[in-house]
Amino acid sequence: MSDKVVCSHCHLEFKKNVMIEDNEYFFCCKGCQGVFHLLLEEGLDSFYEKSANSILSPPQTQFEDSSNFNSQAFYDKFVKKNSDGLSQVSLIIEGIHCSACVWLNEKALHKMDGVIEAGINFTNNKAKIEWIDDTLKLSEIIDMIRAIGYNAYPYDASVQEVQANRVRKDYYLRMAVAIFASMNIMWISVAQYAGYFSGISQEVKTILNIAEGVLATPVLFYSGWIFFRGSYFGLKNKVVNMDLLVATGATLTYVYSVYITITEYGEAYFDSVSMIITFVLIGKFLEVLAKKNASDTLDTISKHIPNEVNIIKDGISVASKLDEVLVGDILLVSSGERVLLDGILIQGEGSFDESSLTGESKPIYKTLNNTIISGTTSIDADIHLRVTKDFNHSTLSNLVSLLENAMNKKPKIEQLANRLSEHFSTVILLLATATFFVWFFWPHSFEESLMVAISVIVIACPCALGLATPVATLIGLSIASKQGILFKEAAYLETMAKVDTFVMDKTGTLTIGKPNVVHEHILHDFDRKILLSLVKYSKHPISQGIHDYINKKIEGEIVFDSYTQVQARGILAKYNNSEIVGGNLKMMQDNNIACEFTSKNSLFYFAIDKQLLAIYELKDTLREGAYDLIQSLHQKGKEIVMLTGDTKESAMDVAQSINIKNVNYELSPKDKLDFVTQLHNDGKVVVMVGDGVNDILSLAKADIGIVMGSGSDIAIDVGDVVLLNNSLNSLYKAFQISTTTFTLIKQNFALSFLYNAITIPLAMAGYIIPLIAALSMSFSSLLVVGNSLRIKYKYKRM
Amino acid sequence: MDTWVMTMMLGVSLFMGSLALMAFLWAVKNGQFDDEEKFLNAAKFDNQEDLNDAVDKEKKREKIKKKDYRPE
Repeated sequence: MSDKVVCSHCHLEFKKNVMIEDNEYFFCCKGCQGVFHLLLEEGLDSFYEKSANSILSPPQTQFEDSSNFNSQAFYDKFVKKNSDGLSQVSLIIEGIHCSACVWLNEKALHKMDGVIEAGINFTNNKAKIEWIDDTLKLSEIIDMIRAIGYNAYPYDASVQEVQANRVRKDYYLRMAVAIFASMNIMWISVAQYAGYFSGISQEVKTILNIAEGVLATPVLFYSGWIFFRGSYFGLKNKVVNMDLLVATGATLTYVYSVYITITEYGEAYFDSVSMIITFVLIGKFLEVLAKKNASDTLDTISKHIPNEVNIIKDGISVASKLDEVLVGDILLVSSGERVLLDGILIQGEGSFDESSLTGESKPIYKTLNNTIISGTTSIDADIHLRVTKDFNHSTLSNLVSLLENAMNKKPKIEQLANRLSEHFSTVILLLATATFFVWFFWPHSFEESLMVAISVIVIACPCALGLATPVATLIGLSIASKQGILFKEAAYLETMAKVDTFVMDKTGTLTIGKPNVVHEHILHDFDRKILLSLVKYSKHPISQGIHDYINKKIEGEIVFDSYTQVQARGILAKYNNSEIVGGNLKMMQDNNIACEFTSKNSLFYFAIDKQLLAIYELKDTLREGAYDLIQSLHQKGKEIVMLTGDTKESAMDVAQSINIKNVNYELSPKDKLDFVTQLHNDGKVVVMVGDGVNDILSLAKADIGIVMGSGSDIAIDVGDVVLLNNSLNSLYKAFQISTTTFTLIKQNFALSFLYNAITIPLAMAGYIIPLIAALSMSFSSLLVVGNSLRIKYKYKRM
Repeated sequence: MDTWVMTMMLGVSLFMGSLALMAFLWAVKNGQFDDEEKFLNAAKFDNQEDLNDAVDKEKKREKIKKKDYRPE
């Protein structure tokens, strides 16, 4: 392979004779050459040292004109002014491969006059840029990014995303303070407890109390602010929540401890104050961390829809804004393009991919006067279309708004923790009040009664309760991710354990979604290389299925003298003066080749010089483990429904082979959505398993949407759980893991309730001293964490 | 006497600890931990040049605040 050289910019390897030679450097294209020289001139060539030969994508050249980034409408939407009078924009930068790319972009932007701040996040490729608009226009910034070989497009840094980041940061700060203070209080407490048993002078005790009090103050009022806010909103909605219990418990304890410190009589509980807040805060933070961000999904969906189309006006093709196209206009669609508006075909013909509507990858052949629905993709057709609906009424934009709707109205199954903690908090607060009155009227002093009442709240420590769910789900998530199952939000683990209905898509989910050769009939022997080469360059799924089949056995390639693909028929080629024909029955009839073989599977005939040599039967085959999955789910008593956009015959064929009774066929994406909604109305908790664009509505609407990792990008964005290894075994595993996690959560609750059942009566009787309160708090939390860790061992062997 | 020593030691150690906490809070607020990849790689690319750039950036920002920033 000595004739191959590496491009000096992108490090891709090509044959030497196709490379552009430039002094001692080689480039694969003009783009790479341009970027390389630009970086050299600007003194940024240390980029190549930093990137350390990692392969970059060569810069693309077809960019839309950057000047429309300067339009007022664009500025209104994406550019914000901050308090310093600087303009601010959020960009997504494409083509970032390594940290050196981040370095290069930041460096190049900082070199520009007028750019004040350019920060790029390597993890999500999002950039925030601040600049002075008087000296520099946005288009110049984007041109710069393009000049160094990347592409950038602005996105609306939606309120939700910014909010989520702010919340997370807020928690970091509050946790840092709480953990710092708690750790310091702990070592001061060691002195306190030592003194409790071996004797301590009141003077020293007060000093230690004051030190603890100083540390506990920011914990209660800064870190604990979240609980005060939470209980305020809870009370406003007339709900007694966990926050209220934590807030009242901590505040009462704090006030009491301050009183003790001043009067220099009794024991202060400052350590309990900070420990309660710290533990529950950590639990809350774990929940926030595992929340899914819906806003990003909609961003990527609208990105898939370009905003310009070509229409024919007065006989010439002009670009037009998508929402300015009127009914009756003539739309130009070239091969490979997505149809964005519904219409009727008035010129040209060809195959279309309707998988976004039906889920079937089999191309549909369309001719004059056929209707074409927006969202389908032209495979090989260059056509003219008379538009019948404007964009706002088109099927495609309907799909997007239905999706937004489904995502916003996704049902939320109430979590066990929320329901339990409401009752728990109420009971504890009532018990504490009762204890106070009983002691006060029994008769004891006011101080003593208050102390006992407070010890009830402190000992009924909500720490274990607060940690019960987050710790268990977090461990569940990590086990799942090791098995290639990605849960996007921790709460889905609990929801999935409660599911009673599984809705399955057929094509691409239960089946592989591509035709595979199931029978090969060889009538006469022939050179397989000819057939392999014949099907190699056809994009048709049937050809690809045959190619995969033969390619396993032989290799090699021949060069045809001529090669033509006949739309919706097959392929015609010439080699060494013989005529080679491959295709369907129509293709054979057109070429006067007799064949009588029929089958319910898709057929591919192969002939040389009018002599039929081989017949291949192809069929979409079941995924491995499909039958076992359905059996196991049946055994668990789950209801299983199969939905498909495919015809009745193929739906029934698949359903019978894996024993699914409930089958619905020939459904549109909207029908699937309605089906899921109907199940919800019947009170079912629904899992939808799918893979394609046609499933996204129902995936979004279902309680849990599970997507195959091989599915379309949009489906993966919309889904709640992604099976990265595409295996149906993982689907069952996901179900198992969630059931185990839910059992664990229930165990954790049982443990902390049992624990409370023992300690609360003791506290009410007045037997609790501060040391025991503090120890029990740590002990119960450890118990819950330890119990959760148990499932790790259970799954280690899997 | 011994209580005075204890008070002083408690005070000094808590004060020093809180300085470290303050520094950490400042770093979080400043966005230094926002991007873990970049945060870890920063050590690899750190050099004199980048330090100068950071100072230049600060200067640019201050000038803006004084409203006399003139790009040359």
